[in-house]
Amino acid sequence: MTSQNVVEDLVSQPYKYGFVTDIEAEKITKGITEDVVRLISSKKNEPEFLLDFRLKAYKQWLKMKEPNWAELGYSKLDYQDIIYYSAPKSNQKKQSLDEVDPKLLETFDKLGIPLSEQKRLSNVAVDAVFDSVSIATTYKEQLAEQGVVFCSISEAVNEYPDLVQKYLGTVVPLNDNFFAALNSAVFSDGSFVYIPKGVECPMDLSSYFRINSGDVGQFERTLIIAEDHSSVSYLEGCTAPMFDTNTLHAAVVELVALDEASIKYSTVQNWYSGDENGVGGIYNFVTKRGQCRGHRSKISWSQVETGSSITWKYPSCVLQGKDSVGEFYSVALTNNMQKADTGTKMIHIGPGTRSTIVSKGISAGNSSNSYRGLVQMGPKAVAARNYSQCDSMLIGDKAAANTYPYIRSQNAISSIEHEASTCRISEDQLFYLQSRGIGFEEAVSMMVSGFCRDVFNQLPMEFAAEADKLLALKLEGSVG
Amino acid sequence: MSGLKKNLALLSRVELRMISPSVNWINSLPAPEGLLESFQLRGRQSLQLAGLPASSDEDWRFSDLERIKLLFKLPLASRASKFSGFSEQQLPPSSSSDTVRFVVRPGMDSQSLPKGFSYISSNELNRFLGNAIDHSAANDDWSVALNNACAGRVLALRVNGTDLPSLEMVLDNAAGELAATRIVLVLEPKTHLDLQHIVLGNSDSSHSHLLEIYLGKEASLNHGWLALGGGDATCVADLVIQQDLRSEYALTSVQAGWTLSRLHQHVVQLNGFAKTILRGLQCTKAHEEITTNSTVRFDGPEGCLEQLNKAVAIDSSHSIFMGNIDVPRVAQRTNASQLSRNLLLSNKARVDTKPQLTIVADDVKCSHGATVTQLQEEELFYMQSRGIGSIDATQLLLKGYCQDIIKYLQFNDDRSNIIDQLIGRL
Repeated sequence: MTSQNVVEDLVSQPYKYGFVTDIEAEKITKGITEDVVRLISSKKNEPEFLLDFRLKAYKQWLKMKEPNWAELGYSKLDYQDIIYYSAPKSNQKKQSLDEVDPKLLETFDKLGIPLSEQKRLSNVAVDAVFDSVSIATTYKEQLAEQGVVFCSISEAVNEYPDLVQKYLGTVVPLNDNFFAALNSAVFSDGSFVYIPKGVECPMDLSSYFRINSGDVGQFERTLIIAEDHSSVSYLEGCTAPMFDTNTLHAAVVELVALDEASIKYSTVQNWYSGDENGVGGIYNFVTKRGQCRGHRSKISWSQVETGSSITWKYPSCVLQGKDSVGEFYSVALTNNMQKADTGTKMIHIGPGTRSTIVSKGISAGNSSNSYRGLVQMGPKAVAARNYSQCDSMLIGDKAAANTYPYIRSQNAISSIEHEASTCRISEDQLFYLQSRGIGFEEAVSMMVSGFCRDVFNQLPMEFAAEADKLLALKLEGSVG
Repeated sequence: MSGLKKNLALLSRVELRMISPSVNWINSLPAPEGLLESFQLRGRQSLQLAGLPASSDEDWRFSDLERIKLLFKLPLASRASKFSGFSEQQLPPSSSSDTVRFVVRPGMDSQSLPKGFSYISSNELNRFLGNAIDHSAANDDWSVALNNACAGRVLALRVNGTDLPSLEMVLDNAAGELAATRIVLVLEPKTHLDLQHIVLGNSDSSHSHLLEIYLGKEASLNHGWLALGGGDATCVADLVIQQDLRSEYALTSVQAGWTLSRLHQHVVQLNGFAKTILRGLQCTKAHEEITTNSTVRFDGPEGCLEQLNKAVAIDSSHSIFMGNIDVPRVAQRTNASQLSRNLLLSNKARVDTKPQLTIVADDVKCSHGATVTQLQEEELFYMQSRGIGSIDATQLLLKGYCQDIIKYLQFNDDRSNIIDQLIGRL
């Protein structure tokens, strides 16, 4: 077998998380109408302001067109053929994990996210979201002692309506884009985090999103607010079963960092990516944006994107506060027929703002992996700085790696540096490693890992290990 | 997508656009005739369907489209127009005494040609005319459509041999009119040529220029593009270059002084093993807007690209660079590098830069970089500490910055005049 074939085989490992949990679910009828929006709101006992928010978003969405500028070439979605709400029966959130359906706990156990008390990850609080609802949140009480609120957004709407009303839709307006408007109209659940003034969150917070039904769209909404002088590290993971149909995931994440606050948001996205012919897989259209509103605030996005048949995702930072900092570290791996169009926007508004972008794209099979980013220096962004680095690695001669960085500067006393390169796994380096007794598979794995090291270094420890494992998984196996 | 299909796709958008300015203007153009009749018909149809460029068109998203509208108010320049003319002093001195100079105007007469140069006959021209444009998929570009619609004649030259005199083409302008000119240049295999384009603009004159270049096997062309405008002059130009095996194309473009200038460079390396060098400098001040939009496609293996685009923007001006590099699967072992360097010297000025790499071949070396900065304070300080005043120090740094590009222009040793002229403007 030639080394090229081996490499291609290495990246074609089966999806481990494709099982379906057989659990009775309550689903509403397919399609989206104003009544459906009202129904979702009423099922969640939402206050009037949120219903208004949803209805406004729905009306805006009706007027909007699905964007096609990314040329992702996916088959058109029928938005009336999607179920917009599904929850395991008797979805009343349990007070104790002992009351949660054991099948659900087992599902999350199989995914490596133990929720039961004795197996809990130490020092990581988890919010587990199954289809449209949050199943369980761990360590809530311990967090509450410090004033940290970590719960599902549905709970937050009822328990902290003022906070939700104050911040919801302020970072990603309800008419921001087609998918954000859809999410604003029908979002079902997600996580809510509030870190009070001066509090450094005592543990990492984590949400785990699981799509279980093939015909249900997942529209989660996450809102994180870090008050002055606070900090939090938030982790997010995603998986879905294998279906022949495409499932829609349109999430919105909003982050708000006030004076000297810091938010670190890490994602390992491993949605089902479809089979080798591109059948099935998740359509992942996500709007993630953070606003550094306070001076010296900081928002850092780190992501490892390996799943989804289509990814359309640009975690962004709006740097308003003086001397605020935005960071984006990303590894995107595409294989088979996957198409990923991902990148970031760094909008520098305030003076002295700084941003760093490090993006690593790995394309294999017939996939297409694009980096699309914007760095913008506004007229008041005096002495702002940006550094961007986008590297692509190609495995096989059928994959595509594209780079579309947009750079706009309106400030003379600011500086932007962008660099990008494209390469493949060097045969010389492979030969060198093999000549020193390192197996082919391990050598490839080491080189990919080295290629991504800049990003992995930014991930929290638990996630760095998971990400490394995830890439290794995609690379392990059939060395002949 | 073929031109016709794209036109049909555009039909639904037509109603949404303000096409009336273009329709009236198109109707005022002389009736299509001659060798370019089919191009004129096609271009006018395209313009009618597409109307004005829209900000949703990727190629135009950064541009001030109001300025384009003004083009539709200008009558076409013709043989009878009163051209500005120019004195020898206005032009940079030629690189050698035996330079062949063409003053390119609509309806120009042919002139005697030295050894190695010949006009391409009408019959033979059909083999070339529009061929490079089709290959580079530039047919549907708005600026190409504009030239197709307007240009009435084409200057077609064949060049063969080595040790040839250099060729100089001066694009003259007529106040208040749009001069549409088109050139086809064919370099036979193993031919080497130095070509200088000088584009002049005054008051509210306007240029639409389309140049197709065919480089035969192992041919090389050293091409200078010096576009110096003035007043409210505008210039929209497309350079379409088709390179055969082991050919080399080196372009050095300098643009300054235009209310609106757009230079589109479309390069296709047909069978690989070719080399392309693109160097550009654009200096903007006041409310000027200058765009360089390049697309390089490698249709064969072992192609090479070196690209460096520099910009200086002051006052409320706007400088735009868009650079596309397309490396399909067949283009293995391509080596392409692109660098966009921009100096932003005023808070009201704007720089937009958008490199774009599309790569499928896996055994390639491709890199691009972009910087937007101001003059380095350390360097200014260094010079001031040695007794050089801040204005002189700034000028010196700017000169050095521009010199990087201008030194490749093939004019006589008096290139410093061009630099002084540019720096003086800034």
